[in-house]
Amino acid sequence: MRVDPFYVTNMVSSLDQAQANQQQLTAELSSGVSINSLSDNPVGAGQNVLLLNQIQQDDTFTTTSSLVTGQLQVADSALGSVVSQLTTAISLATGANNGTMNESNVKSIGNQISGILNEVTSLANTNYQGQYIFAGGQASTAPFTTSTATSPAVTSYNGDQDVNYLESPNGQKIQLNVSGSQIFLGSGSNSVFGALNALIADYSSGTVNTAQAVSDTQALGTALNYVSQQRVTIDNSINQISASSGAVTSVQTQLTTAQTNLMQASYATVSTQLSLSETQQTALISVIAQLNNSQRDLFSKL
Amino acid sequence: MGTINSALSVMTQTLDANQEALNVMANNVANANTTGYTRETPNWQENPPLTINGVTYGQGVTETGATSQRDRVLDSRLDQQQQLAASTGSRLTALNTLQALFTPASSSTSTAGNIGSDITSFYNSFQSLEAQPTNNALRQSVLSTAGTLAGDISNAAASLNAQHSALDQQVGGVASQVNALTGAIAQLNQQIKTTSPNGDAGTLEDQRQQDLSQLSQLIGINQITTESNGLAITTTSGQLLLSGGTSIPLTTGTVNGVTDFFLGTTDVTSQLASGGGSLGGNLTARDQDIPNAISSLNQLAYNISTTVNTQNNAGTDYDGKTGTVANPLNIFSPTTTVAGSAISMSVVMTDPNQIAAAALGSGTGDNSNAIAMYNLSNQTIVNGQTPINYYSNFVTTLGATVSGVQTENTAQNASVTQLQTQSNALSGVNLNDEASSMSTLERSFEAASKVFSILNTIMAGILNLGEETTVT
Repeated sequence: MRVDPFYVTNMVSSLDQAQANQQQLTAELSSGVSINSLSDNPVGAGQNVLLLNQIQQDDTFTTTSSLVTGQLQVADSALGSVVSQLTTAISLATGANNGTMNESNVKSIGNQISGILNEVTSLANTNYQGQYIFAGGQASTAPFTTSTATSPAVTSYNGDQDVNYLESPNGQKIQLNVSGSQIFLGSGSNSVFGALNALIADYSSGTVNTAQAVSDTQALGTALNYVSQQRVTIDNSINQISASSGAVTSVQTQLTTAQTNLMQASYATVSTQLSLSETQQTALISVIAQLNNSQRDLFSKL
Repeated sequence: MGTINSALSVMTQTLDANQEALNVMANNVANANTTGYTRETPNWQENPPLTINGVTYGQGVTETGATSQRDRVLDSRLDQQQQLAASTGSRLTALNTLQALFTPASSSTSTAGNIGSDITSFYNSFQSLEAQPTNNALRQSVLSTAGTLAGDISNAAASLNAQHSALDQQVGGVASQVNALTGAIAQLNQQIKTTSPNGDAGTLEDQRQQDLSQLSQLIGINQITTESNGLAITTTSGQLLLSGGTSIPLTTGTVNGVTDFFLGTTDVTSQLASGGGSLGGNLTARDQDIPNAISSLNQLAYNISTTVNTQNNAGTDYDGKTGTVANPLNIFSPTTTVAGSAISMSVVMTDPNQIAAAALGSGTGDNSNAIAMYNLSNQTIVNGQTPINYYSNFVTTLGATVSGVQTENTAQNASVTQLQTQSNALSGVNLNDEASSMSTLERSFEAASKVFSILNTIMAGILNLGEETTVT
């Protein structure tokens, strides 16, 4: 049987192939990445897009969470201050209502409560990075103003009932704010400002209508409890965000591991392949060298 | 009756025949490395014997020239396989350039120019905005991520268009090469018809085979043997390219902005695309692979732009305004058709205050519309898929196409190598063979000259009639 007399050509193309193979393996080793083009692993490349998408989503959620947590903590601490101010107001009012104080002392208590009202108003108008956090959707306008045209004075709400939510990557909706009117201007005896303004009016003249003042003080107590209840919503949100953020971070760690495993070249495997390919190359070169020896054809024997 | 004279004549012929055979061998050795050369073997023919008075005498041998050792079926198979390999080879080159535009990001921190990450970052910027809808920096970041997304999609589309026109220019030049080859083959057909209508035409056929092989690199062809050792060639789908001494020129013309190929008045572009050869591969890339990629990007760009614009117009911006027909609040340049959406994708909004984070009628601190825009990323807004799934499927499909063509090309090249080996085994010049044949012929020549000198001595003896000194 005749053989292909140009078998050296085939060997040289095998040598080329071995070299191309080595080039690819060396590229994998130096970059540490196994998928350098889509065709290396089409399904892997597609998965990589989705994994990176989730990782980046989680990353953004973690950043957003910390921003939101800051805002919620500011709201929480403002409400905490409101509670302590109102507690002070209640104890002042209780003192004024026991009938032992003279007119100027009562007036002074009225002034102190008036100061507390200002303090609570300013807390209710808390601004976090340019946003009034108790204004609902009207975040660029201070939500509470007090008009003293009438007695008792009237504190009105300029915000709205808008509630913002943050959506976690798994679709959970977390409440970001409670509207100011719900916290400070609850209906009936739940209104903080209503109770404070009423007390200020009660003590403004120096003579106390005890029955009225006691009833107003009780109303302030009710309003205080109501504020505490609303504060729970904020605290719940902080907990939810912290929990979500923790869960997301742990998912992100897993996803990053998966993505790294997907994309990273296995050094052991690639090194072994490279070593095999080098052995093959050496063998081919030495075979070609031997074949090229001038003693190989019959003409040299003639 | 056999005579010394006739014996001498037989030996003379033998010496001639051996010389001619040696000449064939010498020619083989000389052309051992000539591309397209087919090994030749001498034809030996026994001379018709002479019968005199019932006794038969052999009349020696004649060398009647050389026969090229070729297998037309094998050569034709090799040509066909070369057409396939050339087709997938050129398509693979084009696809490799194409897929380089969509190199996978190795990690979440090395995502520059990656459209998948751009999509994610863009929608994520709305999630950040959910936290503080009035924050100017966050609004600005929506516009900047939108700009990156639009820029990368538009750049990718522009690169694809550039590749498309480069391929178009490349294929245009093939027609003249094909015509030169078919013209040459037609001429060879004529020469072969006159010189060797009934047998192998040797060198002329070597040339014709080489032209066929070159033609096979360019386009897909069918070969049909005709009378007088002629050859007719059609494209793989049956349009006549040449018959006998007449070739039909392949012409080009511009149809719908791209180069099309014509035989006579018939547009054969799509047939050539599926036919094979480097032209087939390049046409497939030009008319199928690149347009597919562009159309996927168009679909993505169109759906992202329109849904985001629509949603932004459905909310209230930071200045309390809502988009109207006359004054729309568009983030991306508005498009009405899918075609061309990718390349024209850009961000037209310059004022970050125009991002409508709040729901219609809500205060500017509201974030419901920002949530709605973020949620677009999880909605099946692009051909029944979410944007990121659509992109993921796009890269998987593209990668699978490239990988498939790669595998095909490797298999076809292996097959070409096998066929080439088979063909070389038959038609290639093996120097060992030639050396051994030459030794044989040399021996044969020596034997003939020895016999000749013996006969000469005998003849001298006869002429001298026993007197050994007269004639030597």
